[in-house]
Amino acid sequence: MSAETGRGPLHAVVLLVGAVGIAYEIALMRVLSVAQWHHFAYMIISIAMLGFAASGTVLAMLRRRIEGRERPLLALGALGLSVSLVTCFAASQALPFETFRLVTERAQFGYLFALYLVLAPPFFLASWCIALGFLLEPARVGRLYFFNMLGSGLGAAAVVGLLFWLRPALVPAALTVPAALAFSLSAVGLGRRWQLGLVGPAATLLLAGGQEIRLSEYKGLAYAQRLPEARIVARAHSPLSELTALASPAIRETPGQLSGYPMTELGRLPQQIGLYFDGGSVSAVNRFDGSLAPFAFLDYVTGALPYRLLERPAVLVVGAGGGTEVLSALAHGARHVTAVEADPGVPALFRGPLREFSGRLYEREDVTFILAEGRRFMEGQPDGSFDLIQLALLDSFTAAGAGVHALAESYLYTTEAVQLYLRKLAPQGILSVTRWLKMPPRDAIKLFATLVEACEQAGLPDPSRHLVLIRSWNTATLLLSRSPLSQPQLAEIRRFAAERGLDLGYIPGIRREEANRHTILERPFYYEATTALLSGRRETLYRAYAFHVRPATDDRPYFFRFFSWRSASRFLEAARSGWLNFVEWGYVALIATVLQAALAGFLLVLFPLLLFGGRAGRRRGAVAAYFGALGLAFMFLEIAFIQRFMLLLAYPVYAVAVVLAGFLLFSGVGSWFADRRLTSTVSAGSARRIVALAVALIAAIGLTYLAVFPAIFRLASGWTDAGRVALSMILLLPLAFWMGVPFPAGLQLISDRNRALVPWAWGVNGAASVLGAALATLVAVHLGFRAVVGLALVLYVVAAVILSASLSRS
Amino acid sequence: MTRHLQSPAGMPRTSAVSRRAVHGLVLAIASLSWPPIQAAAQQEDDDPHREARERLVRDHIASPPFGAQYAVGDEEVLRAMRTVPRHRFVPPDLLSQAYEDRPLPIGHGQTISQPYIVAFMTELLGVGPEDRVLEIGTGSGYQAAVLAEIVAQVFTIEIVEPLARSARARLEELGYANVVVREGDGYYGWQEHAPYDAIIVTAAASHVPPPLLEQLRAGARMVIPVGPPFQVQTLMLIEKRADGRIEQRSLMPVRFVPFTREE
Repeated sequence: MSAETGRGPLHAVVLLVGAVGIAYEIALMRVLSVAQWHHFAYMIISIAMLGFAASGTVLAMLRRRIEGRERPLLALGALGLSVSLVTCFAASQALPFETFRLVTERAQFGYLFALYLVLAPPFFLASWCIALGFLLEPARVGRLYFFNMLGSGLGAAAVVGLLFWLRPALVPAALTVPAALAFSLSAVGLGRRWQLGLVGPAATLLLAGGQEIRLSEYKGLAYAQRLPEARIVARAHSPLSELTALASPAIRETPGQLSGYPMTELGRLPQQIGLYFDGGSVSAVNRFDGSLAPFAFLDYVTGALPYRLLERPAVLVVGAGGGTEVLSALAHGARHVTAVEADPGVPALFRGPLREFSGRLYEREDVTFILAEGRRFMEGQPDGSFDLIQLALLDSFTAAGAGVHALAESYLYTTEAVQLYLRKLAPQGILSVTRWLKMPPRDAIKLFATLVEACEQAGLPDPSRHLVLIRSWNTATLLLSRSPLSQPQLAEIRRFAAERGLDLGYIPGIRREEANRHTILERPFYYEATTALLSGRRETLYRAYAFHVRPATDDRPYFFRFFSWRSASRFLEAARSGWLNFVEWGYVALIATVLQAALAGFLLVLFPLLLFGGRAGRRRGAVAAYFGALGLAFMFLEIAFIQRFMLLLAYPVYAVAVVLAGFLLFSGVGSWFADRRLTSTVSAGSARRIVALAVALIAAIGLTYLAVFPAIFRLASGWTDAGRVALSMILLLPLAFWMGVPFPAGLQLISDRNRALVPWAWGVNGAASVLGAALATLVAVHLGFRAVVGLALVLYVVAAVILSASLSRS
Repeated sequence: MTRHLQSPAGMPRTSAVSRRAVHGLVLAIASLSWPPIQAAAQQEDDDPHREARERLVRDHIASPPFGAQYAVGDEEVLRAMRTVPRHRFVPPDLLSQAYEDRPLPIGHGQTISQPYIVAFMTELLGVGPEDRVLEIGTGSGYQAAVLAEIVAQVFTIEIVEPLARSARARLEELGYANVVVREGDGYYGWQEHAPYDAIIVTAAASHVPPPLLEQLRAGARMVIPVGPPFQVQTLMLIEKRADGRIEQRSLMPVRFVPFTREE
């Protein structure tokens, strides 16, 4: 068996496999964000779970036949992994799956199922290798777990680096190399012929060369590629997005309806190149030769309103993208424009292939371009810096309507963010936010509620004198003035609305008959909602409205989620009569994932439990409860911290990488520590004591963090990237360290008493982890970050109780 | 009962309605020699889908399950819906769903609209047998065929080449001689045949192309379905008043009140 073949290779194998598994998972999330939509991230997590849990179950069921063959089976698994990365990915891209068609085509459910089956094998095989590793080194599972975690941590960090210079479609090929190395190492001592297996992964690399992501035909870029004379003029990619610049004379993107634009007098729109982010939302780059005359059309959109109220303002544009809002500011006589953009692909294109076309827009004297996430950038600015802060329309009209971003965290639209914007405005300054409108109304109402509550929290005595909402048929622009709006300003707003045929949703002193005059709705919804929000009827509106319009906060940063369970019956009724038009895809995907994960968990975990039953039955129940609780709790904390650290680290992808790497690495160290304390044949007492200590410390640290995070994050907001990453790591260390203890302590206990249960415990834990990931998001959406952390702490206590009450008794 | 969507306050439909009454008579005579109707009449006997189509019109368009107030009542529109063979416009593998009241994919990221929406939009346009209609976004050609059953001329522009070609072939085959399909960019409309008595824009855009508004006859209407793929969330109804003023209305094709009654 294993003992004589050195441990070194085994540790390296487990480390490499751990790294490949997590890197593959993150890369697949990026791929599916491009191919379909963002919400598929959840699906990948549940596919990973399927693979993990299935391997644990299979190993548990085959335990007698495996005995003595662990080494070759591990090597076979590693070989399979190295071959499967590219082939499974290629197969997935050949499947004609389309989210939107699920509603109309039953066959799509088959494709979705096939997608699961095709994407799961690499996860199954990675998990297979690690579980066999545990069986090979039964006396030191903690140390092995450490190497697994170390590998995962390194993999998470490495894949983000990799995505800077490789397109996500090529990552599976890149990961084939470490996977092949893992195979080669795992076959050491099995005979030289085994090394011939390396031909397999090498052959798959040939397949990977021209691999492209199959883009959904319903994505903006797919559609644009069919426009007349369409050609892709440039591409850029980063861990944040794949950016495609496409030129066609038929591209004409404006920030909303052009209300009454006299095209014959003022001319056609300038030539444009569309910048497609992940093949979806588009931002236009306008041909610019230094003359601002062709941009007169930008005075015919709702977002032009603030320029009527300000004289030569210093403007901050958040989400500058292709630069339309920047051109609008210049065309409206801005003194200076600060253009903030989070995606590094944008400056790369503006410095390179789009430089002349864009007229070097971002290199002008009166424009300062900043590559940063908007909120983080603002936190570092002196108070009172800007006369106008413009939050641009960041997503596309279609994506907004489909609700595909329903569960995307956004710290730009929370009450805390609005208070920050207020501080950064000059005394007479204005915040202007434009959103695409949906019917029935929701976005603009939620945004208005956010502004009202932010005003109150900021201590403005009478918010009703600071706010404006005007709308066209497809956009609304909301203004929040730091000072009460003056009579001349109000007259100017009314004049602008009348000239452009725009509707007043709210203006200080609005009369009912002023609302709903140009684009007529069934009722003056916006007037009714905004006046309710400013009166004592606010709570009633929140409760009675069909959509979730309560403001987003830093604790629940889900501005784009509008689905409300209270109205579920109304939506269902509409759906039953053939009307599925209120589907929020992001939310549906999450619910589907939770259900699917629960079902798969039942089949893969509980089913074998019932099947084996008998004498081992009760012990199995306790094992399932212990490792299930740990899996859920670990993921709850991990997801909550990822969500929370986005605020500190600015970019979601960095938050994912740093928090994953930190959690995995430090838990690995914790499990190493546990292993040193519990060297072979553990006494139940010592396991119980160390788990109790760990859980007590996890709870103490977790509760402390809940209390001090806002203050710490504010303190660190001006720090450099490196400083904030370092701070994140320091904060994660003690918590993750102790989170690494309970799992190996319990596993060692089982390993000593009934080794056959080890793979099963591993599978249960895998299943629970992934259910936990989806469930944590659901809890965060409804109850907030604090609730997720609180639940995790409760689960840790439950686990400790199970261990001391049941597992540690023999 | 008043159907407020068909006769929205402030946007009188009396002119369109009375015009239609007159046209009804004209139509009765004209239809004897009208190619599309003749073509349809020839098919009638050997059309195995006739019953399904009747059922669709009866149960989903003339009395939709989501509320009697949204019933399409215009006889001409209902007749057109009963006549146009929708199964000829859907991809072969979705044939069995051709007469279900739902949108279906036709490839290239496009859909053939839900029959109810087609009927509803056609009714909203308020067109008669002498009218000329411009359509931007031909897609499968189904909407154009429905309009062709009612009006004198349909001009339709499709930007996706393969769609334009197949729609043209299909419409020709079905004998719709009064539809002209053009491949290309519909943003600037089709100046040659302007002004139009109605315009329908099925291609999503960030704004209504100003040239289309210019090519709309005073007193005429434009309809734009708005929403992501497979979901019409709202219908924009634009009316160019006699004085050139633009009046817009955002309509929900289904009863859904966001405020609950307790409020």
